[in-house]
Amino acid sequence: MLARLTRIGSVFPRLCYRIPVRCVSQSKSSGAASATAVTELQQAAPSDSHGEVSPYVKNPEYHGFSSDPVVDQWNMRLAFFFGISVCLVIGGTFIHYLPDHGMRQWARREAERVILQREKEGLPLIGENYYDPSKIILPNGGEK
Amino acid sequence: MLKILIPTVMLIPTIWFTPKKWLWPSTLTHSLVIALFTLTWLTWPSETAWSNLNGLMATDPLSTPLLILTCWLLPLMILASQNHTTNDPINRQRMYISLLTSLQLFLILAFSATELIMFYIMFEATLIPTLLIITRWGNQTERLNAGTYFLFYTLAGSLPLLVALLMLQNKTGSLSMLTLQHSNPLNLIMLGDKLWWMGCLMAFLVKMPLYGVHLWLPKAHVEAPIAGSMILAAVLLKLGGYGMMRLMNILEPLSKQLSYPFMILALWGIIMTGLICLRQNDLKSLIAYSSVSHMGLVTTGILIQTPWGFTGALVLMIAHGLTSSALFCLANTNYERTHSRTMVLARGLQMVLPLMAMWWFTASLANMALPPLPNLMGELMIISSLFNWSPWTLTLTGLGTLITAAYSLYLFLTTQRGPLTNHLLHMEPSHSREHLIMTLHLIPLTLLIFKPELLWGWIF
Repeated sequence: MLARLTRIGSVFPRLCYRIPVRCVSQSKSSGAASATAVTELQQAAPSDSHGEVSPYVKNPEYHGFSSDPVVDQWNMRLAFFFGISVCLVIGGTFIHYLPDHGMRQWARREAERVILQREKEGLPLIGENYYDPSKIILPNGGEK
Repeated sequence: MLKILIPTVMLIPTIWFTPKKWLWPSTLTHSLVIALFTLTWLTWPSETAWSNLNGLMATDPLSTPLLILTCWLLPLMILASQNHTTNDPINRQRMYISLLTSLQLFLILAFSATELIMFYIMFEATLIPTLLIITRWGNQTERLNAGTYFLFYTLAGSLPLLVALLMLQNKTGSLSMLTLQHSNPLNLIMLGDKLWWMGCLMAFLVKMPLYGVHLWLPKAHVEAPIAGSMILAAVLLKLGGYGMMRLMNILEPLSKQLSYPFMILALWGIIMTGLICLRQNDLKSLIAYSSVSHMGLVTTGILIQTPWGFTGALVLMIAHGLTSSALFCLANTNYERTHSRTMVLARGLQMVLPLMAMWWFTASLANMALPPLPNLMGELMIISSLFNWSPWTLTLTGLGTLITAAYSLYLFLTTQRGPLTNHLLHMEPSHSREHLIMTLHLIPLTLLIFKPELLWGWIF
């Protein structure tokens, strides 16, 4: 908790830093004065420039998303929430509770139950006449 | 179907109208929600394979896993390319994500098309965003050469397919996959019919890629930015496998003899590309050649045309999609730190990035098909159905598996073990983002083995 507070503390002065930059860049007076102002500002805030400066200098809790610490943290939260909590957890639960396709799992359970029952009763696992022979209509063999 | 397509289309306004600051978080969230809702395709209400029918599109157990993989890859690509595009102007970043989104759109349309000609058009349409991604966002000038190779190999392979499909339309009066699989076998005797057979399969064999017409793939992989490599390895190669599985049904009487040379070539390719991997010094090139090797196994699994072969091919395609994409992400984390793909220049990284070494280890094991993962299931199903066809194939597939283990070990040992090189003074620690990408690749891969029937295709 305290670590978060200290980070907010480091963000605010940086935001205040940017205000003069905006004023200078929007003023259209061309001249040596503005040029020197820009260079001074660039020297004053070297961590804002790109290049080889490590992002950890500006944001010790850098997550690899953005150079802006606030966006970085929110992007990390969104990515983890929607990636892990929503897609993997809710998606995984959804897949686990999908309806039994073609009742295959049911058939398996039922078969195991029937096998146990028939073994207990001492019956053969599958009867010789699985289909009732009286109901099978065979083709007439007299044609040959 | 439309409940996925319309949000995917609406991702493009999201990309262009979101404030600059929130571009990446909002597109990532949006695409993850789309990915979640694609899982609803897994509810197959009927026993007759096809579901979610509308006029042009439908899903079946063969296309559903590939569709979900496609939609899962978009958020992962967005996560992976977040770092290397930060220095681009904002409109170029928006363009980049728009291209990735359009690729997802075309791929959904390709995998869910019920008409072969619609599938063909979308198959070709995926070339354009991929070409733009490779040639615009690649890192070196060789990317232009790679783009030419990629475009012309694929186009030269697939133009005969267009002619073949039009001839089929003339002959049967329909190109609908819903009816073609139930139609009578065609009467194929003449030499022209054999050429037609070649035309039907060549496009997919180039796309897979078959050993011999694979030269575009390592080039494209090496030069593409990370998102390009990921989608290429994970989904675009699978378009070839998917198309072959769809067309094998109607090519029936000829495939029995004509597929021999291609099967042998694919099996031989497993060994050759495995050996090429063993002497590779470029990290991305190694992973690309390992993709060619695995896809060779998929090709033979499809050409053998047994139920086990088909199922093994689909399982291996999905498993390899997640694994190779994960390996490319890992290669990219190295590249972002060392600015080089050369393996000898980034040795011993376990000392600096120990948690990344764990991911490297897991991904290498997945690549060499460690038991609990679906990679092994796919390979075993293909290998056993090949063995059933001819016991001698076991020498080739067995040797291939051995070489796969060898180069996976080589990949892991070279990048992770040993002393650290002296020039790596300034290394960033690994970011939460990179760990998240790897988690989102490897957790689904692990979870899949708990419900493998999702990947079994028509068998289930």
